[in-house]
Amino acid sequence: MARYGMVLDYKNCINCKACETACKEENGILLGADNHRIWVGTKEIEGEFPFLNIASNNFLPSQCQQCANAPCQEVCPTNATYYDENSVVRVDPDKCILCSYCMTACPYDARYVDDRTKTVDKCNFCADTRIARGETTTACQNTCPTKVRIFGDLDDPNSEISEVLRTRDHFTLKSHLGTDPRLFYLT
Amino acid sequence: MTLKSIIPMKDISLKELFSFKKSFSNVTMAILTVVLLALFLAGSVMYFIDGHHAYNISREHPWGLIIAMYVFFVVSSTGLCIMSSIGHVFGIKEFEIIGKRAIIGAIITITTGFIVIALEIGHPVTMIIYNILTPNFSSAIWWMGTLYGAYLGFIIFEFIFLVRENHKWSKFFGLGGLLVGLAAHSNLGAVFGFLIARPIANGVFFPIYFILSAMITGSYLLFLMYGFRYKMDFPEEVKVMLTKLAKILGLLLAILMFFEIWRMLTAIYGGMPGRAEVAWHILGSSNFLIGEVLLGMVIPFIVILASKGTNIKGMVWASILGMIGIFFMRYDLVHDTQVMPLQLLKIREYQLPPTFIEYFPSFAEIGVSIGGIGVCFVMYYLADKFFELDHNKKDM
Ligand code: SF4
Ligand code: SF4
Repeated sequence: MARYGMVLDYKNCINCKACETACKEENGILLGADNHRIWVGTKEIEGEFPFLNIASNNFLPSQCQQCANAPCQEVCPTNATYYDENSVVRVDPDKCILCSYCMTACPYDARYVDDRTKTVDKCNFCADTRIARGETTTACQNTCPTKVRIFGDLDDPNSEISEVLRTRDHFTLKSHLGTDPRLFYLT
Repeated sequence: MTLKSIIPMKDISLKELFSFKKSFSNVTMAILTVVLLALFLAGSVMYFIDGHHAYNISREHPWGLIIAMYVFFVVSSTGLCIMSSIGHVFGIKEFEIIGKRAIIGAIITITTGFIVIALEIGHPVTMIIYNILTPNFSSAIWWMGTLYGAYLGFIIFEFIFLVRENHKWSKFFGLGGLLVGLAAHSNLGAVFGFLIARPIANGVFFPIYFILSAMITGSYLLFLMYGFRYKMDFPEEVKVMLTKLAKILGLLLAILMFFEIWRMLTAIYGGMPGRAEVAWHILGSSNFLIGEVLLGMVIPFIVILASKGTNIKGMVWASILGMIGIFFMRYDLVHDTQVMPLQLLKIREYQLPPTFIEYFPSFAEIGVSIGGIGVCFVMYYLADKFFELDHNKKDM
């Protein structure tokens, strides 16, 4: 059993959105702007032309932060949201009652309603596609041309992700909320 | 065993069931009820055809008007239960007369609340199954649902014993209903209060505020129910009770205003991101200023203050405004909790950077939720026909 996490070297992101596309393709996410498990946020350039602050314009790929202390799991009345054996936060569509509590509770806007099952869906590190087939990569990581993403087992000291986290400075999003995300951004 | 041997009911024919005195107020109520009921049916049909697509809820604003209206109904129920317990649980003589009317009101409003929420939750049947099979004790919604289920059981028994004039058992179930109701209702406040992602809602305020505003709602509803029952021509003991009620209500409103002032001051002070902005946004919205403050608190408060609680007719009218104010309190509670976007970056080309989230209910949402009031009216009409809801004169 692994404890999966992901490191994002976000400064390498070129906003090509290959990851968004790969995720939709791999996990069969429905079309439509609101139906997305992952996204790339754009920070707009600060300043008035011609005094533009080029350094302020960056891209922040994001998705479910795979919180180790997940508010969405805490609030789910039926335990439809659960931690699987690889510590991935997942949703069981059979148990989800679509009360939407998790959607208001997730601090990262990571959840949306899947119109096929009429239940809540979100990134689960390709748990029921690639991981279920025995692969150890996610679609977004596999496709990223600038190698922004490193996916792996945080419990394995020899994994690339553990190595990177040991040697490079990193931060997590909204860490003051105590959600303990397993997505790490390199500085 | 027949139903009648369990709970005494009046014998009425089908014709009597549909006949009522054609006074102006009765006819107005009848028309209003039919219109609301039609609205409810239209909304429900739209929901059954299009599911959640009939509603204007979205990824960023997943809770809409129906959740607000559910809160509105269950607040009404808890409020009626608390106010009625002043009489038959705590034994304050003047309030003993409201028992039956208040408790049937509590049963009706919570049932309507359940009906309305069943049209919002995606899978209500799954909910019943997995609430039992795989309960999550850290979920405020789980506790809220479970406790409200128990609460409904308690107050139904309370009502049965009240109609049977069995004061020992009605007191027992009344106390049980009161305690479980308080727990359930503060848990509903906690559904919002526990949201660490939403600084404007997070904290101790909502669980307490829910109980306080429930008592205020219960008082408004009692004024309305009695005003309608006696067509503003009150017998002496009702007058005495309503005057006392007005005084209690005045105190409750004063406490609520005090709470609100400090809530806003603490939300704004220090300018904490995601909280202060939302607080300013709330303070500038007409929903809050006109709906919550003016209609919900200030006007009824002035009516009470100006007459030292004796202007009962005025209070009945003010209670209509008060209930509109209470509606805005519920609506704003749900909407304002979600108004601050959690995604602050642009994620699509040609998108403007996210600002406060816009939401306006769709026709189907308005139908289901506002129309739900019609469901309430019908149930109350039937209850009034089948049961003897007036107090027993010989008890006085
Ligand atoms: S990011 Fe949101 S959806 Fe993902 S685990 Fe955390 S709270 Fe849950
Ligand atoms: S919408 Fe589904 S997954 Fe989310 S809290 Fe409700 S039951 Fe759980």
